Amino acid sequence: MTLRMTRRAALASGLAATGGALATPAYAQTRERVARVWGEPGPYIGVFTNGLNEWAQRNAPGLRFESEQIAWDAVYTKLATDLAARRPPALISVESPIAYQLAAEGLLEPMQDVNQAIRARERLVDGFSIDDFGTWKGTQYAVPLHHQGCLFVMQDDVRQEAGLSDPVNWTWNDMLSGARAIQQRRQGSAGFTMALGRNLCGDYHIQQLIWQAGGMTWDPARSFETTFNSAATIEAYDFIKELYGTMPRSAVEFSFLQVVDQHVTGRTGSSFYWGRTMGRAFDEAKPIYDKMEYYLNPAHPRTGARWSWTDINGFIMPRQNNPFVREAKEALAHVMNSTDWMVRYSTSLFPNVGPVFKDQASAPGIQQHPMYQAKRRSVDVIFTGFVPHACNSGHEMKKGVNPLAGIGHGRNVWSQVAQRILVNNENTRAAVEWGHRQFEDIRRENRRLLG
Amino acid sequence: MRLSFDRYNPLRPDEQPFVGFDNYVFVLQDPLFWESFWQALVWTGWSTVLQALIGVGMALLLHQPLRGMNAFRGLLLFPYIVPTVVIALNWRWLFNAEIGIINHLLLSAGIIDDRIAWLSTPNMAMGSAILLNVWKYTPFVVIVVLARLQTIPTELYDAAKVDGAGALRRFRDITLPQLAEVLAVVIVFRTIWTFNKFEEIYLLTRGGPGTSTYNLALYAFDQSIANLRMGVGAAAGVIMLLLLLAGSVLYIRVSGFGREDKSA
Repeated sequence: MTLRMTRRAALASGLAATGGALATPAYAQTRERVARVWGEPGPYIGVFTNGLNEWAQRNAPGLRFESEQIAWDAVYTKLATDLAARRPPALISVESPIAYQLAAEGLLEPMQDVNQAIRARERLVDGFSIDDFGTWKGTQYAVPLHHQGCLFVMQDDVRQEAGLSDPVNWTWNDMLSGARAIQQRRQGSAGFTMALGRNLCGDYHIQQLIWQAGGMTWDPARSFETTFNSAATIEAYDFIKELYGTMPRSAVEFSFLQVVDQHVTGRTGSSFYWGRTMGRAFDEAKPIYDKMEYYLNPAHPRTGARWSWTDINGFIMPRQNNPFVREAKEALAHVMNSTDWMVRYSTSLFPNVGPVFKDQASAPGIQQHPMYQAKRRSVDVIFTGFVPHACNSGHEMKKGVNPLAGIGHGRNVWSQVAQRILVNNENTRAAVEWGHRQFEDIRRENRRLLG
Repeated sequence: MRLSFDRYNPLRPDEQPFVGFDNYVFVLQDPLFWESFWQALVWTGWSTVLQALIGVGMALLLHQPLRGMNAFRGLLLFPYIVPTVVIALNWRWLFNAEIGIINHLLLSAGIIDDRIAWLSTPNMAMGSAILLNVWKYTPFVVIVVLARLQTIPTELYDAAKVDGAGALRRFRDITLPQLAEVLAVVIVFRTIWTFNKFEEIYLLTRGGPGTSTYNLALYAFDQSIANLRMGVGAAAGVIMLLLLLAGSVLYIRVSGFGREDKSA
């Protein structure tokens, strides 16, 4: 059997095909484009993305920004895989150590133009500079977004019950004896809690103690030499070993959530954490919230240092395979120039997301927030008081920016050292030497980043 | 396999030099690899043995012609159906030493005086991870064994009863030989799947505390993704493949799987 097409059918098919071909560009133009925006878990990235979409609706029809929440521990993993797949997000809210690393890898778009458009230098709160958020070799790769300092959280009723002094002037010795006193006073309750699990939270908590003792992982002033096996590092781990006696035994598996759980369920007298513990207590445990106070971290008795592991968080933008560079920059400037949007961002998880701009920090929306009204001293410590003590692994003790820190982020070496000491009963020096070798491997494998 | 001979950092996708056997040398010289290997053996060995024992026992119970047995057989599949991520996260809560319900119940019943650190001490963490694995995958063994039990001719049991064989004897001389081949297959599959298991341990303990529950799947993942050594991770994967291949061939030979067919 043969099929014979009539002239009319052939004409109709030809017209339909031509029409379809002509319509394709129009269809493509009206089809929605999605620019992904990565942020930490929590409502704040969603609020920011709403602001970006406000710009998109007015200025880029068909473009939609979509937020993706990436767990703290998973940012690095997802970033590596998405960059490798050449499908990066349009914007990433990220901690400065990762920003420094990616900038040194040559993967980021310079952001000076956005920082100028939002007058970031003039508006930034005292104590921070734009460079703290992700500047590498003089080029700004990050736009300031928020800050979160890890601090000492204390239940004041528990402290008074144990007859302890005001923690404002506490040193490590006071902290240890205070935790012991609380533990003795309240059977079944921990005196102190920090994360010691093999995770990012454990790394953060441990690092701030190492800095307070005067130790560093790498020294930018000495060609990024690995300096982890110093006496100060050993002292910090020995202190953690002593403190562990006042913690729940399961602290060796704790991460972010477990520390907050422990505190807001009233199972510890004190802990290390960022602002979220207060927010969770406000939402779920009013009696705990009422007696909760934030303090600067207890000072090291010799150095007097009170360093806080601070999430100095900015927006970075992948340079390659990112079709949204121009639009995302304009949208970013739109939101960051709006005090209103930045206040909404900060208050979406109060007081976890510290304001980075003066106009934002002094806005009525923040100043009149019920938590600020009720706990002004503590919130001031969270928002501004800790700033002189703020640093992180990307800028240890503010002695120089270090792109190796981002790589260290994914490996949990700091917390693994603690686990070797606490779980495997390894000698502190031997465990620290093991950690030193891991950091030295990172340095050797990534020497090219150091230029 | 090709990646295992290259050095590849996903952040530098344009650089992928051939490095020969360097990745394999790295893996075999890494103490953590050997630590993970021994832990993988413990994890796989205990999980598979317990699943086989409990699975056969439960299949025998479910083989009884009782009322409502079909509904019970259906319910048995529940742990196998629920996504691993849901189970692991729930178990984390259940086993939480401080606020978990298991410790709460044990304390309330006066069975224990002090909270058990289920996931915080090396032995308990490995035990808890194995328990989860056994709970989730025993239904698979039950279903396969039950299917085989239902095909064993009842005449064999009747004849044995006439000859005076007791229940234990009938189990040893009829049931077990009839189950041998299906058990060989089940054990090989469960061994392969458990040895390669990543998500349960990752979600429950992340290999901790210390490296007490760190297995080879976690090792390969951490090398590839956390340490950005994709070549090393691939080499670890290839080594796992070879180990499983060798183990499976050895086991099938020792168990005599398929020998009857050949002789026939």
